[in-house]
Amino acid sequence: MDGSRREFLRGSGVLAGASALRFGIPGLAALSQAACSARDAGAAFETLSAGEARELDAMAARILPSTGTPGAHDAGVIWFIDKSLGGFLAPQKDFLLGGLADFQAPVAAAFPGATQFSDLDEADQDRYLRTQDTTPFFGFVRFMTLAGMFGMASYGGNRDSAGWQLLGVDPHQHAFLPPFGHYDAAAASGDNHGE
Amino acid sequence: MASDRQVQYANDDVVDFVVVGSGAAGGVIARELSVAGFSVVVLEQGPFRTAADFTHDEIDVVFNGSLLGGPAARDAQTFRDDESKVAMPSTFRPPAEYAQTVGGSSVHFSGNFWRFRESDFQERSLLGPLSGTTFADWPITYDELEPYYARVDWEVGVSGAPGPFDAPRSKPYPMPPMPVKSSGVLLERAAEKLGLHAQPAPVAVLSKPHNGRAPCIHCGYCMGFGCETGAKSSTLATMIPQAQASGRCEIRPNSTVFNLPTSARGTVDEVLYYDADGKQQRQKARTVILSANGAETPRLLLESASAKHPDGLANSSGFVGRNLMFNCHSLANGVFSEQLNDYKSIQVTRIIHDFYESDPARGFYGGGGIDARPLFSATPILFSLAGMPPDAPAWGSEFKKLLAHNYTRQMSILGSTTSLALDRNNITLDPTHKDRWGRPALRLTYRDHDDDLAMAGFLLDRSMELFDAAGAEQSWAYPLEPQTNGAHLLGTCRMGDDPQTSVVDRYHRSHDVQNLYICDGSSFVTSGRGQPTMTIMALAFRAAEHMATAARAG
Repeated sequence: MDGSRREFLRGSGVLAGASALRFGIPGLAALSQAACSARDAGAAFETLSAGEARELDAMAARILPSTGTPGAHDAGVIWFIDKSLGGFLAPQKDFLLGGLADFQAPVAAAFPGATQFSDLDEADQDRYLRTQDTTPFFGFVRFMTLAGMFGMASYGGNRDSAGWQLLGVDPHQHAFLPPFGHYDAAAASGDNHGE
Repeated sequence: MASDRQVQYANDDVVDFVVVGSGAAGGVIARELSVAGFSVVVLEQGPFRTAADFTHDEIDVVFNGSLLGGPAARDAQTFRDDESKVAMPSTFRPPAEYAQTVGGSSVHFSGNFWRFRESDFQERSLLGPLSGTTFADWPITYDELEPYYARVDWEVGVSGAPGPFDAPRSKPYPMPPMPVKSSGVLLERAAEKLGLHAQPAPVAVLSKPHNGRAPCIHCGYCMGFGCETGAKSSTLATMIPQAQASGRCEIRPNSTVFNLPTSARGTVDEVLYYDADGKQQRQKARTVILSANGAETPRLLLESASAKHPDGLANSSGFVGRNLMFNCHSLANGVFSEQLNDYKSIQVTRIIHDFYESDPARGFYGGGGIDARPLFSATPILFSLAGMPPDAPAWGSEFKKLLAHNYTRQMSILGSTTSLALDRNNITLDPTHKDRWGRPALRLTYRDHDDDLAMAGFLLDRSMELFDAAGAEQSWAYPLEPQTNGAHLLGTCRMGDDPQTSVVDRYHRSHDVQNLYICDGSSFVTSGRGQPTMTIMALAFRAAEHMATAARAG
C-alpha cells in the first residue's frame, strides 16, 4: 500500500471489502472482485492528493453520513470523485481545488487546534458546513457526492450498490413484472385503488 | 453492427431519395420508400447504436448527454429569451434537446403516443384569430391523417385503449394498455373523486409480442434512455431494420449534412456532409427529404442560403425557423405513505384529457393533458438532485433518511400544454458561436406566450387538487417559469396551402424547390397538447405515400 493511500485511510477504519459475491451474479461478482482487489491492494488516487481526498471524503461523509446504513464514505464516493476529476469532470477540477482552498482557509481561526475540516469532530464539521452550504463549491461537492453514491459502480463509487440499496432498489434486478407497488397491487386484488 | 448488412451506394450514384435524419419521420419515410422499390440513402449525424449499446448508466446518458451528442452538441447551440439579448450556450442540457443516433429522438423519448384530435387541425377557425400570433389552421384534417395514425398504431406498435374524449379511430389498438402502475392507480382514484376521467395512456411500447418484437420488461429506463430490448417503438427498433432488409436503403451514420446547394435549374441535386473523419462528402439524389427535426431542419435551410435564395433555401415566405413551439409544462410532486416503486416500468400509464380543448371560460387560449409518472423518481441521481421536497434539508442524516423514504413513495403529475405560434420564437444562425465543424451555432430565441404559461398554471392547480384527492401525505408545485429548453421542436417549417405563409405544401413539398420535401416536427402548424411524435410519424407515412406517387409519375 503506498503512502498516500495509507494516509487517507488513517483514522477512517478499513474500507469495506468486496462483497458483490453476495448478490449472486458470477460474472459481475468476479469483475467487481477483481476491480476492488486492485483498488484496495494499493491503488493511489489518480487526480487528488491524499490531503485533498481526506477533506472531500470528510465533506461527502457529512452530506450522506454513515447512519444505520452505509453513507458516502462507505460507498467509496471519494473514489468516484477522484476518478471523475480525471475523466468527465476534469474541466471542473481547477474550480474544485480553488473552492477547496477557500473552504479550508477559515477553519483554523474558527476552531483552535484544527488546521483543516477533516480534523474536526462530526458536530463541528456540521456546524462549519452550515456556514458554507450555499457556495457553488459546496453545491459541486454535493453533486459529486450524489452522483458517486447513486451512479454506476464503474465510476468508482456506489460500492456494493450501497446507494441503490439505500433507496430501496434491488441493485441486480433490471426487469420487473406487475404488481409494481402497493397501490396497483391493491387495485389488482379488488381493493378500491389501494384504499 | 447493423450497418454491415445493407446495400452501399457510392456518393456519385444518383439515388432516388436522400433522407436527412433517421428519426421519427426519417425512419418511417426511409422504410416506406425503400420497401416501395426506390433507392434511398439516409444521412444521420449520430452513430449507429443498437439495442445492445444501450445502458442504464445515468451519468453517461443524463449528465454527459451521450445520446444527445455530448458536450460538443451542447456547445453547438445558443439560447436567449428575447431578440434584444445575446444568446449564450447552455451549461447543462442543450436548449434544443434531440438525440443524435440512428433512430433520432424516437430512441430516447418516453413513448407517449397521443393522437391529435379533430380540433387540433382547425382551432384557428373554431376559436378565431389571436392577435400577435401566427395561429392558423392546418391544411389537412384529422380525417385525412387518421388512416396513417392507424398505420403507426399497427406498424410501429402502440399499446393502449380508447378514452372517452378520443377522436374516432378506424382500427382498434393492436395491443392492450401497459399494466397500470401505482402512480396510474392514484391518478384514477383522484380523478374519480374530482369527476374527471383518467384513461390508459397510449404508448409506443409493446405490452405484448408484436411484429416479431418482444414486449417490455418494465426495467424503468425509458425517459432519455435507449431501450435495451427494442420494446420501445423507436424507428431504430421498427422501421429501420425493415428499410435495410429491403436491400435498397443505406443508413449512413456519422454523416452531418451542412449544405444543400441549388442547381442552375433551381433544384437540389446533392447534399453536402461531413463524414465520420470530418471529410466533406456529397450524395447525389433525384429528390431530397429533410427530416432533421424542428431545430436542425430550419438551420440547414438557413445555412444553404445562396444568390438564388438569399434568405435561406425554401424560404421565400420568411417562415423558415419561425413559430418554434416547445409545448409548455407544469410539474407537481407528491409523496404517499406506501411504496409506489414508480421507478419500475414505463413513465406514464394513466392520463387525463378533460382539459384538452381550449375553453374561453378560462380567459386564455390553450389546452392540455395531465399524466402521472415518476419523472425524477425513475432514476436515482436525478431524484436526489431535483426530486426532493422543497422543505427537505440539502444534506445530512435527515436528507439521507428522506431520500430513502421518498424514492419509492414519490410520483409526479405532469401537465403538457399547447404552445402558440409566435414569430419571436425561432431558430436562427448564431453570429458568433460556432460548432465543431466551424458552422454557425444553432441559435434559439424563445419565451412562452402568456397564455401557454396560464394554461400550465391551470394544469398545475388541477395537479395539486389531484394530489389532495389521491391522499398524498405531502405535495408541492414546481415554480412555473418560462422554458429555456425544449425537446419538442415544432412549427419551424410549417405546412400550408399559401406559399406566402408556409414553407411546405399539404404533401410536405417545398413551395419553392420542386424536388425538396420537408417532413418532421417543423411541419406542424399548431403544437397539439404535448406529445407530438405520434403525429410526426403519421405525417411521415402520409408524406411518403405522396412522394412515391410523385416519383413514379416523374
